[in-house]
Amino acid sequence: MSRFFHGDSSSESSSDEEELYSEEEQENEDSEEESSEEEDEGDDDDSSSDDEGGRTGASRFLREASDESEESDEEKVTVVKSAKDKRFDELEGTIRLIENAEKISDWNAINEQYDKMNRQLPTLIRDLDGKPPKMYIKTIADLETQVAEAFEKQKVTPGKKMNPIAQKGLNALRQKIRKNNRDYATEIETFRKDPDDYMKEDVVEEVAPAPKKAKKSLLSANPDSLDAGDDGFTMVGAGGKAMVYTPESILKHLRSIVESRGRKNTDRLEQIKIMEKLSDVAVSDYQRIRVLLTLIATRFDLTSGTGSQMSQEQWKLASQEIARLLTVLEENRGIVVIENAEEWEDDEKQPTITPGEIFKVPGNLISFAERLDDELTRVLQHIDPHTAEYVERLQDEGILYTNIVRAMIYAERLKAEPKLDASQDNINRIVMRRLEHVYFKPSQVVAILEDNTWKDIPEKYDSKITPRTQAKDITTLVRTLASYLFQNAEGIIKGRALLCEIYFLALHDQYYKSRDMMLMSHLQETIGSFDVNTQILYNRTLTQVGLCAFRAGLVYECQTALQDICGSQRQKELLAQGLQMQRYSQITPEQERLERQRQLPFHMHINLELLECVYLTCSMLLEIPTLAQSGSSPDLKKRVISKSYRRMLEYHERQIFTGPPENTRDHVMQASKALAAGEWKKAADFITTIKIWDLLPKAAEIKKMLEVQIQEEGLRTYLFTYAPFYDTLSVDNLAGMFDLEPRKVAAIVSKMIHHEDLAAALDQVNSAIIFRKGVELSRLQSLALTLSDKAQGLVEANERVLEQRTQGTANAFERQGGQRGGRGGRGGARGGRGMPRRGGGTGFTGGALGNAIRAQ
Amino acid sequence: MADQTPTSAGEMLNGATANAQPSSEIAKEQSLLPKLVPHLDRHLVFPLLNFVEEQTPEDEDITEITQLKYGLLQGTNMSDFIGDLYAQLHDLPERPQEYAKKRDEVLERRRIFEEETEKIQNLLADPDVINNLRSDKVSNMNYLKENHRVTQQMVDQLYEFGQFQYSCGDYGSASELLYQFRILSTDNDKVNSATWGKLACDILTVNWESAMEEVMKLKESIDTRLFNNPLAQLQHRSALIHWSLFPFFNHEPAREALTELFFSPTYINTIQTSCPWILRYLAAAVITNRARPGSKGNFIYGNYQKQLKDLIRIVRQEQYEYNDPVTSFIKALYVDFDFEEAQKRLTEADEILRADFFLVAASESFLDAARHLISESYCKIHQRIDIKDLSTRLGLSHTEGEKWIVNLIRDTRVDAKIDYKAGTVIMNHPPVSVYQQVIERTKGGFFRTQVLSAAVAR
Repeated sequence: MSRFFHGDSSSESSSDEEELYSEEEQENEDSEEESSEEEDEGDDDDSSSDDEGGRTGASRFLREASDESEESDEEKVTVVKSAKDKRFDELEGTIRLIENAEKISDWNAINEQYDKMNRQLPTLIRDLDGKPPKMYIKTIADLETQVAEAFEKQKVTPGKKMNPIAQKGLNALRQKIRKNNRDYATEIETFRKDPDDYMKEDVVEEVAPAPKKAKKSLLSANPDSLDAGDDGFTMVGAGGKAMVYTPESILKHLRSIVESRGRKNTDRLEQIKIMEKLSDVAVSDYQRIRVLLTLIATRFDLTSGTGSQMSQEQWKLASQEIARLLTVLEENRGIVVIENAEEWEDDEKQPTITPGEIFKVPGNLISFAERLDDELTRVLQHIDPHTAEYVERLQDEGILYTNIVRAMIYAERLKAEPKLDASQDNINRIVMRRLEHVYFKPSQVVAILEDNTWKDIPEKYDSKITPRTQAKDITTLVRTLASYLFQNAEGIIKGRALLCEIYFLALHDQYYKSRDMMLMSHLQETIGSFDVNTQILYNRTLTQVGLCAFRAGLVYECQTALQDICGSQRQKELLAQGLQMQRYSQITPEQERLERQRQLPFHMHINLELLECVYLTCSMLLEIPTLAQSGSSPDLKKRVISKSYRRMLEYHERQIFTGPPENTRDHVMQASKALAAGEWKKAADFITTIKIWDLLPKAAEIKKMLEVQIQEEGLRTYLFTYAPFYDTLSVDNLAGMFDLEPRKVAAIVSKMIHHEDLAAALDQVNSAIIFRKGVELSRLQSLALTLSDKAQGLVEANERVLEQRTQGTANAFERQGGQRGGRGGRGGARGGRGMPRRGGGTGFTGGALGNAIRAQ
Repeated sequence: MADQTPTSAGEMLNGATANAQPSSEIAKEQSLLPKLVPHLDRHLVFPLLNFVEEQTPEDEDITEITQLKYGLLQGTNMSDFIGDLYAQLHDLPERPQEYAKKRDEVLERRRIFEEETEKIQNLLADPDVINNLRSDKVSNMNYLKENHRVTQQMVDQLYEFGQFQYSCGDYGSASELLYQFRILSTDNDKVNSATWGKLACDILTVNWESAMEEVMKLKESIDTRLFNNPLAQLQHRSALIHWSLFPFFNHEPAREALTELFFSPTYINTIQTSCPWILRYLAAAVITNRARPGSKGNFIYGNYQKQLKDLIRIVRQEQYEYNDPVTSFIKALYVDFDFEEAQKRLTEADEILRADFFLVAASESFLDAARHLISESYCKIHQRIDIKDLSTRLGLSHTEGEKWIVNLIRDTRVDAKIDYKAGTVIMNHPPVSVYQQVIERTKGGFFRTQVLSAAVAR
């Protein structure tokens, strides 16, 4: 614990604050007057809030006074507030805002501030050793009464409507307060009993620790303070002794910092400050490396909790320091940072580094780079993606990427050094990170990223895995990275690398390649045993492959690829793009927290609306002809391609009135209806007016493709639906109706006839379709067919049961076979068990039983 | 054994076949030689090159092919032949001296080998010894060691000698030596190589029966020995597929077995991943299978339908990666139902077949079978057909076409009549009666239930 004082600073800052406060006080009073005029019935309210105002004011002055008294003890001293005090000030500020808002009944603002206050609370409680700050208790107690009153008032005078926003705020606040105040019931009770008394304690308590904790605030490393270190500044240690940072003492300082790591009540910001200084006084590379290693680690420690994220400032500093560390290491090849090194125990003495030998320093640079990446991801997860802040933080990715590439080059260097026996694992991890930053982006974007990165890296360094000259060709880059991992990594990293490459290929319209890789990987069999993040990546990749198939015009492939993701109604969860609110969910908070951690930052998302649109359109193109084909026959109805599509269609059909389509779903549903009626033009119109297609590259081509598909499927649907009403149909006529070439129509019809979908034949001479009559089954006939099917199924099921029960020992079929074929008992038994079983209508082929029956 | 051709030869071929002058443009474009070569042994490539040479018209230059042959065989011990080729290339009256020297060296080495292996060969020729051998290799080896002082080294020498003989082009004796080695050796890797070597020998000595045996042996060893190394499995399988093309089209009985093999899931996957061009051969084999005698039998005909279905599926799947007139024909006929296109492809396919080493013999029957397929599916779909039109589709004249149709009606017992005056055929497709269907389905029910109840009662 140290403080440092500056010789000639005045007490400007504190006096500024006073002014500020008094101004605000003024305002408070003003607003109070106004509100008292407005509110007729709120007398009690006002008086109480007056009291509050006075009291808080008084306490403020009290504290101020105490500050001053402290200052007078040590003359000409600037008290720079400690972080804790700052937090208290923040709380105070929030409370003041709440009070202000109370006066004008702006419940919405109160609600917001209340949330903010609760967010600030945990750290404050920690600072006060587990007790909530008194100010806070007072505020929430007051708020409770206020809210209750406001609510009552509403009930009494329903005529006087509150404005809806305020109303909403009030309701939300009431809920929250009810829940929250339960936690602080005892404190509130004490406060209610004797407000003044309660608050007095607070004041005393708050003042007491202040002198002790007066520390320097967090300042960015500005050059002034560094210069000042030489003239005018005196470092003062915990016992008032002067702390001198000399190159010799660096290691000692570091040790004390490292030892305090992880302990309670260590002020990390303070330590960082010290280390920043240390790194400036460091003379040798060794010292610099040591200082930077500890410094970066401490910076990351700042945000070790799950809830908090690294501030941009800290993050930037950390990334700069990593870059600096890398530069030092790149320039001085005699020293390496590696995990399996020995710790240097002697703080007094510097290690002697003999040139030519490699000196090892314990540490892991790769982990730093990874951590830097993780921190940025965490920040991006929490920022609203539609704000400028998000974009700003996203720009940091460039720096991050540079660091990753540099760390990769460094890791490669270590690996190349035979003496070091650096682990392959590190290099794999960093290559994976790099791949993960590249795979989901279009190659133009990556090209820019790569370009900037290589500009930042000094000319003389180059990577062996991905040479500088290769940076232009992103496809090769991705392939090189991925194949490096195939060769050198194993397990999950290998799988992830594969998925990343597939994703990249699919994104760049290489459907067949990506599909083949997907199939050849056999990941679908093992994906269940991977960790959740990899499963998410798998889902994303599958989706991307599906979208790629769609762009290539392969409707069937697209539908099957997307079926699992989109058919489940849980796209958000499966792709980690937001939490799905489920009605009957039984997710524990713990699970929810984990899920939140898994969320992808917005810039990696796959557009869900587009996804749904693609899926529904594909389902439509497949389902509508199938529906038309099944018609009324009962046994075909079972064939459902997409359950969710069917459900939507049914819902849509149940509606009595249908307005013009508003969203994507409506468009597709109405198009389906039109298509089912044979009006392909209308259907195509509905589909092509969907706006979201514009998000796809080459939207016009895709629309064209869809139109052609709709024409063909429309023709099929038409034939299925209206065939019973025609004796003959001219091919040319159909061609005109569906705007297709006669040859194409003939081909489609031929296909249908060949697959026995259509009971018809072509007349080549007249170029017409002749429908066969007498093939439509009457209801009785089709039922008879179904019945016979079922009876057959029953017999087969019985046989299977018997076979299972007897385990083939008392096998009826074997006996039959044995008698007929004259086979020996044992051999026959084996034959009987191994007999292939065919389902469905071809039950009479193969096997002993079949022989027996045929012989009948 | 020497199952990898040096890449240099393959590369040379790539360049050369483009320059070679086969009979037609399409055939040239679609020549699979450069694709096949990397998967074949250099000795196996030789007949292919010979074939190209034969195909080349008299008046054209064959230096390139000779050059190729020279490059191909340089690594072998057939020094006489290489010398001849060299002389031919450089217009020398006789072989240069160095080949004579080499030849002497080879002969010398051969003598040494013969001496070294004499003993064990004699032993294996001795009926007494043979009678004492069992199926267990280890005990065999022990027996030989104890009674005849045979060492492991001697056995290995057999292998070396076999390889040497193979390299000299003496395939018959190489096959014999490798067979002997296989009986005795316990070294699995070498046994495997020996099996490959023996397959090559059997192919080159046109001993198809034993070649087929070797193919099956290799198939098993690939499945069992390499099961934890998918990549090696893939490579070995694709090599096996290529090698077995020789018996495939030259040995009638092998065709059925090999078609089955190629359609088995693992092999069809291999074809799809590493060598889709094999689809041409597979397609040709399936289509020609139709015309084979005995294929009208009920079971086999069903099998034919199944194979055709599989083929269509695979051709369709692989369309993006590989297509040639043969696969395009399948696609046009069965995927797109575009008969004009099919006809066009058929003429192209015919040309290709005539220029292909493996398929040249089957080209006639292929054309015939393909016509059958076209008319079959055409008749299935159409009710009234203009004979003139159908004849042009089949690439026949009017009268020929009429004859063709009459034959077709007679063969396949389609219900069809010819309207001579209008020049049309009228097909009659009687629908299957519903009652017939119900009867079919319920026929066996009673009997099966009886059997079942008897079994339960037991």
